Amino acid sequence: MRTTRLKSILTVALAAAIIFGFAIWGTLKKDDAQSLSERRALATMPKLSIDSVLSGKFMSDYEQYKLDQFPLRDAFRTLKAVNTYYVFSQRDNNGIYIVDGIASKLDYPLNKSSVAHAEERFGYVYDNYLEPNGIKAYLSLVPDKNYFMADANGYLSIDYDKLKDMLTSNMVYAEYIDIAGTLGIDDYYKTDLHWRQERIQDTAEALAEGMGAEASAEYTAAGADTDFYGIYYAQSALPLKPDKMYYMQGGSIADYRVYDYESGKYVGVYDMDALSGRDPYEMFLHGSKSVLTIENPNSKSGRSLIMFRDSFASSIAPLIAEGFDRVTLVDIRYIAPELLGRMVDFSQYTDALFLYSTGVINNSETIK
Amino acid sequence: MLFSSAAFLYSFLPLTIAVYFLMPRRLKNAALLLMSLIFYAWGEPRYVVLMVLSITQGYIFARLIGKSRGTKKAKAYLIISLVLSLGMLGVFKYANFFAESFAAVFGLKIAALNIALPIGISFYTFQLISYVIDVYRADVEPQRDYVAFAAYISMFPQLIAGPIVRYSDIEAELTARAYGADKAAYGARRFILGLGKKVLIANVLAELVNAFKASGEKSTLFYWVYAAAYMLHVYFDFSGYSDMAIGLGSIFGFTFPENFNYPYIAASITEFWRRWHMSLSSWFRDYVYIPLGGSRVKKPRALLNIAIVWMLTGLWHGADWNFVMWGIMFAALLIAEKTLLLGFIKKHRAIGHAYTLLVVMMCFIMFDASSVGEGFAAIAALFSRGSAANTEALYYLKSYAVPLTVAAFGATPLPKRIKAKLEATRVGGAIMTIAEPVALAALLCLCTAYLIDGSFNPFLYFRF
Repeated sequence: MRTTRLKSILTVALAAAIIFGFAIWGTLKKDDAQSLSERRALATMPKLSIDSVLSGKFMSDYEQYKLDQFPLRDAFRTLKAVNTYYVFSQRDNNGIYIVDGIASKLDYPLNKSSVAHAEERFGYVYDNYLEPNGIKAYLSLVPDKNYFMADANGYLSIDYDKLKDMLTSNMVYAEYIDIAGTLGIDDYYKTDLHWRQERIQDTAEALAEGMGAEASAEYTAAGADTDFYGIYYAQSALPLKPDKMYYMQGGSIADYRVYDYESGKYVGVYDMDALSGRDPYEMFLHGSKSVLTIENPNSKSGRSLIMFRDSFASSIAPLIAEGFDRVTLVDIRYIAPELLGRMVDFSQYTDALFLYSTGVINNSETIK
Repeated sequence: MLFSSAAFLYSFLPLTIAVYFLMPRRLKNAALLLMSLIFYAWGEPRYVVLMVLSITQGYIFARLIGKSRGTKKAKAYLIISLVLSLGMLGVFKYANFFAESFAAVFGLKIAALNIALPIGISFYTFQLISYVIDVYRADVEPQRDYVAFAAYISMFPQLIAGPIVRYSDIEAELTARAYGADKAAYGARRFILGLGKKVLIANVLAELVNAFKASGEKSTLFYWVYAAAYMLHVYFDFSGYSDMAIGLGSIFGFTFPENFNYPYIAASITEFWRRWHMSLSSWFRDYVYIPLGGSRVKKPRALLNIAIVWMLTGLWHGADWNFVMWGIMFAALLIAEKTLLLGFIKKHRAIGHAYTLLVVMMCFIMFDASSVGEGFAAIAALFSRGSAANTEALYYLKSYAVPLTVAAFGATPLPKRIKAKLEATRVGGAIMTIAEPVALAALLCLCTAYLIDGSFNPFLYFRF
């Protein structure tokens, strides 16, 4: 009888401590502005008004606010991830899976309409800017990490050959350059989706060679001081070991002039301030930029390249630029192709490269 | 507002408990009513008025019936109240369905009515109907205190997903109820276990169900995995919610009826429905089946009664033809058992268990389908000779093997029996005194972790 009573008291006390404890803590705690792990602004307390209550907006916003600002939010996410992986033995958590300390994200199944959308937008660019200016077009796909580690470890992955065939069969105007053979899983960060600049020199050379250019130079890898916790580190919510970050020096890199069309200023190839920002990978050519040009004063090739790209190009473009007088990088996720003619004089270019990761092609809703 | 949300657990619930227990006894029903209206308004601000109108008509007509018992007036008041209740349900729940069906049958083009379904309308309307009928039958006395009556109908723990609490179940507790550590502990235990069933099992299995639906290549194995996952998902979702409702009721001093009793251990469909959503099946028994004559009529009429009750049960679950078909399937099975199978099943319990699980699984495929045709196609796919298994099905089977196993084990009384055996020993009892509250606290934290992770929303442009 006494033990039953004790059990009842303990049950009520512990449950009340959790419910009331977190309720009070959540009310008193100062709101966080950003989630570093998700790289987004967190919800703030919604404004109370008759309209917002009657429409139900206040309630839905409050529920999001409560979740976003919950005390120990990241620790709770880790608890969920640990339970998912180690108790429920589920193969992935929110699509993130880990093999030998390397994290990747499932990208399945093959999204045919997404591939078609990308192809349609690339076609628009070719028809309106490249063909009228006699620019030779190339296409290359960056395989994501799943290409190397999914199938071999029993994870779902898309049919990469099919994706490539779908794209190339509709982009007959572009010559395909296969770079998959130059890459392996070790060429990617363990905690991020991107490749490592210090390991893709042969990939840059293969791309340049595919376009009939020469992009070989002597480089040395310089180490950044900070640890790199990539996007998959945050998404996995597990205590993975951070990556070490390197950037290449040598060749003509120190002589490059990089023009940022958004700010109208010349900027450095590497943004060292980004190393302490929310995404250190943004150190390569300043992260998300709609249009940038790398001018290489040492090049005598007489050729200029316009590269339609995603974030993978940020780290490889400085290596490819070795073989061109000028490389302009255009990200049509941030600028609509219809507006490009106002910013870029296409008559100055001899070559164009569509360089995209398979992940972006299979999820191309962000391409404008 | 869902019980399984951070806003409920860490804002509404602590505030409600504080307000409720700080109030003097005479104001506790008013506090409960106020918080229940806020709870309802959180999800449906405009439909609070509808619920209050329903409550008011039920209150008034029950009082009138009470005053005129034994006269024709009482019957008239009963009919008016039933017409109002069923009319409200008909307009808000079934108008779209009937209009679309009518248009489809006669080839007419009718503009969509687009009437939104008020949350919980099926539950509170059935409670109102049972109350008014019980007053008419003189099974209960009409409640004079409007606040107490409104608190009963709108009581948030059981408002949106049951169980269907009859007035007679809590009549005494509406005026005088007991509190204490044991009752609160029982409530907390039931609530946390229900939350665990909902968040850790039902929601996780829902991911598997969604993965199946999103798949472009559905093998036979994937259909079986889906069917098993869905039937377990429905059970843990619904029974988890009932557990949370019963637990909350206990914390506030009420004793709600049980709604589930391990339905998947049933050896016949007849037994299954004595264990599944018991408050609904007993409602239909007492207020539809028996008034129609039940089984005390000629056999054809008795079988027709079963068919009527189960078509209505199907319609109650949702205003669509797949739900009607779901009810018809159960009606057919119950009739088959009543006329042919029960004797055989009683002698061969193992076959009965296997048969029950299989047909319940098929019925729930129909329940989940977006049309009758899709439901039958999915049931047929379980037995197709097409692609037996594919990589996708195997991946998800491996990935969800543990949650599926935990769910299957948890759907039996075995965990309860093991716990009871452990507690029966001196050492085990002593360990459980500490271990059980700690495990419940850990479970609550784990559920919170899952709810918070549900808000995980990586920036779409993370591949900048």
